[in-house]
Amino acid sequence: MHSSLSWTSRAISRALRSSFSTLLETATGGGSGAAAKGATKSGATPGSSGAPRPRFVSVVCGFAKDNLRHKYKPGKYGEDSWFKASTASADVMGVADGVGGWRSYGIDPGEFSSFLMRTCERLVQCSHFNPQRPVNLLAYSYCELMEQKKPILGSSTACVLILNRETSTVHTANIGDSGFVVVREGQVVHKSEEQQHYFNTPFQLSLPPPGHGPNVLSDSPESADTMSFPVRDGDVILIATDGVFDNVPEDLMLQVLSEVEGERDPVKLQMTANSLALMARTLSLNSEFLSPFALSARRNNIQARGGKPDDITVVLATVAM
Amino acid sequence: MSLLAYGEPAESSETDSPAAEAEPDVLVDFTAMLQRQRQNGDYGGWFGCDSKMQTTQSDQGYYLEQYVLGVLDFSSQYGIDYSISYTAANVIGRPTKFPAYGDYPETFPMRTYGDWWQRAPSATREIQPQNLPKLETHDYVVVYFEEFVVPTEVAIFETFNPGAVVRIWAYGLTKNWTCLWEATESDLSRPPPLDSRRFAPSLKKTTMLTKTLRIDFNHSRLNYYTEIDAIMLCGRTVTKTQNLLAKQQITQHSRTLVSPPPDAIGSTSGDGSGGSISHKLRTLKFQPNCGEDGATKLHEFINNDLSQFLADNCVDGEAAAPQICLTDLPFEILLRILSYLDLKSLFRVGHVSRTFYDISRHPLLYAEISLKPYWDVASSELLCTLARRATMLRKLDLSWCGGFGNVSPTEFKKFLTQRGDNLTHLRLNSCKFLNASCIENVGIVCDNLIELSLRNCATEPPLLNFSCLANLKNLERLDLFQTYFETELLLSMLEGNRKLKHLNLAFCGVSVNMDNVAAHLATYNTQLISLDLWKAHFLSSRGLQSLARLHQLEELDLGWCMREASLGDGLFQLLSNCPKLKKLFLSAVRGTTERDLMHIAALGKNLEQLDLMGILNITHERVYDILVNCPKLQLLDLSFCDNIMDRDFDLLAEWSRQFKVDIKSSRRH
Repeated sequence: MHSSLSWTSRAISRALRSSFSTLLETATGGGSGAAAKGATKSGATPGSSGAPRPRFVSVVCGFAKDNLRHKYKPGKYGEDSWFKASTASADVMGVADGVGGWRSYGIDPGEFSSFLMRTCERLVQCSHFNPQRPVNLLAYSYCELMEQKKPILGSSTACVLILNRETSTVHTANIGDSGFVVVREGQVVHKSEEQQHYFNTPFQLSLPPPGHGPNVLSDSPESADTMSFPVRDGDVILIATDGVFDNVPEDLMLQVLSEVEGERDPVKLQMTANSLALMARTLSLNSEFLSPFALSARRNNIQARGGKPDDITVVLATVAM
Repeated sequence: MSLLAYGEPAESSETDSPAAEAEPDVLVDFTAMLQRQRQNGDYGGWFGCDSKMQTTQSDQGYYLEQYVLGVLDFSSQYGIDYSISYTAANVIGRPTKFPAYGDYPETFPMRTYGDWWQRAPSATREIQPQNLPKLETHDYVVVYFEEFVVPTEVAIFETFNPGAVVRIWAYGLTKNWTCLWEATESDLSRPPPLDSRRFAPSLKKTTMLTKTLRIDFNHSRLNYYTEIDAIMLCGRTVTKTQNLLAKQQITQHSRTLVSPPPDAIGSTSGDGSGGSISHKLRTLKFQPNCGEDGATKLHEFINNDLSQFLADNCVDGEAAAPQICLTDLPFEILLRILSYLDLKSLFRVGHVSRTFYDISRHPLLYAEISLKPYWDVASSELLCTLARRATMLRKLDLSWCGGFGNVSPTEFKKFLTQRGDNLTHLRLNSCKFLNASCIENVGIVCDNLIELSLRNCATEPPLLNFSCLANLKNLERLDLFQTYFETELLLSMLEGNRKLKHLNLAFCGVSVNMDNVAAHLATYNTQLISLDLWKAHFLSSRGLQSLARLHQLEELDLGWCMREASLGDGLFQLLSNCPKLKKLFLSAVRGTTERDLMHIAALGKNLEQLDLMGILNITHERVYDILVNCPKLQLLDLSFCDNIMDRDFDLLAEWSRQFKVDIKSSRRH
């Protein structure tokens, strides 16, 4: 017991250290800490230069699994959290899904994911924010958890997507089973890889309560799946938690998403996001429907049917140049 | 610069004109004149250009409210520098939490509060304490804004335990610091409000241009950490032409005006230990005012023997008495009297006469020098002057000096080479001029150092690299708070300085493995009394067990440094092996268990300060245990302990009274 405890602590230390090394390596020329953190002022005016500067037109919709019990809070749907942020050089979006298993330990699973996203949002405004390294955003945010006086415990999956305005390139980092889909001309052109240890147990960033170390899965921010790809005007990007991907079949999703290609009216985009979220919600409560989750379960020799009731978060964006 | 001016006796008569006292910044007269000119509609002549200037409106500039654009410097912060929680960078931009009141990570708290750190075994004594103003500065932050303005208001958004701000400084175009506001004793005697506030004291009328502010903090009155959310600078901008003209004028001024007005810094020291003595000396109605501390002998002499002395030298009573003047006192007495003067008064006293000038230059008066209270006027020239006088220098404190390039590293090295060989105490906290070769010089020249304090000299790559300080063998105190160093250097220094008593490694970088350091300490530095590892990384229970071999330990700060590890047996061993332990900080050491708390209650007989902030699962039974069994306890921090519920707070308040322990808890207001 003892040796395994110290082993875990060392493992976590190593995870920490490796995430630090990423951070240090990218904080180049930062100088002393305080001076480096000169936040970029909010009054960013993209599009002033000649080159096309892409931006996201983005909207959010979602449902808490148990929306009677959960009071609505900005940026949260149950245990899911999301954020959108924007600077002169980049548009950033992200979702995180708190792992519900912590409730039995007396830990609010939503707090972890919510903190992760709020911190990402703040970090985007820091001067050392690197629009090409979404992993750093997650790593910094994860490290920030350990700097809180109020202990924030639990674990969470996370997906962060950054649009680099300079290069019209999207950089993504994804840990676990949240994810994104990019639709262009009726086709899925990019899609995140789902990262799972085993069925229904995604990769996750976690901070277990002391003493629970050995039983807890903990993946370092380093293990995030990263992708970079150029985007074009009109591309539709969906970032969502597993509540959407587990319940809405891909062809149905594609059908909905390709309708809003090139859409720049946030109101119309919002309607699509609403219908997607509602679709996921309805399917998740349908006990007969053969959902992607049920199919995946069957592949793992588990007989299952119907949707998977879960918190649902849809962040929908189109690229406007 | 001002200090230097007093060094030249010839100019003394001119430096004290009252008009100059009222307007401390050179720019002042000039911009005031500009405005007057404009109002009269008469632009000609004075500038040497004709009267075709812009309309009054645009010339006046406009009123501007701006928030902080960046942080230039700070003396300490609660969080670690790569973080965005509890760090100085959080004052940047608009308030994020105001008007909410509470302990929020999005704000800027400093490292200490109250006088608890002064009461701990590791507390240091100020060098040349007579230099300190009445309300001394414990911490500061220097921030800059986007636009130059003539400041009319500075608003500080305090979201937790307000009331620490004691001074507001502005850095003008003339490269001088001007104190815009200073707290008085009566300000501080009022009980601080327990709510967030927008603190905007009425500033001294000025017409200087500034975009850089420095806020001074004094924590002595604080009940807990103060937190600053944002700082706003309001004022009128000046148009470009005017700006340029101002710059021209400044260069002209600075060429002609050798000595800036004398009370540019004098205004801060007020009528306390500082200015009044020299003032009295000037008017030559000298009443020896030697300060309260340790002056008894002098008092005795003056009360009992002075009259005798005067009588002895009297030919006939009343008539001759007035002819006896201060300089008739024995040299030693005069020297003693002058030794109570602060540095500025000492320079001023030299203006009185040749005799006083000679006495005021005596090396014994410069055995201990602290320029920290004069950070705003410390310069290379001042160092040069001091180097001529301080031939017997023992203790030197240059903390906070040289912020804007006023002190050149070359000059510092020269000073050190001339006067550093007898130094026993050297404090260079937050010295921004330090470079690697400066430190190298310290290592080579000052080989008698007992105390070396290099707080907050963080630079990357580390200033302190291998071999530069390995020469030092007599260190008893080493303070590397928030300073990067190479592990090899530290380990070899620990090996070399077996007499080390106090070591501060708070905020040291992620490259240092604390387990190795702890093992080294246990092997070589068994005399260690205090150890601060606040926010240090990679200390495990193994390291804690090594620390348990330091039997003399009285103070141990492990705050935030064992965030993920379990303590194992370490704490038990530590408590049973170090019976003298007075201060134990376990802030956010989340691995602390109920068993550990029982050990604290059972073994912490001498504990005076105990910090258990953010530890999970503390029950109030354990708290009661600790209160009952640790009779000397004065401070107990239970903030963010998730098991202490709201209903427990009344109980805690009751216990606080009953056991006379200051119990901190994060009660929501």
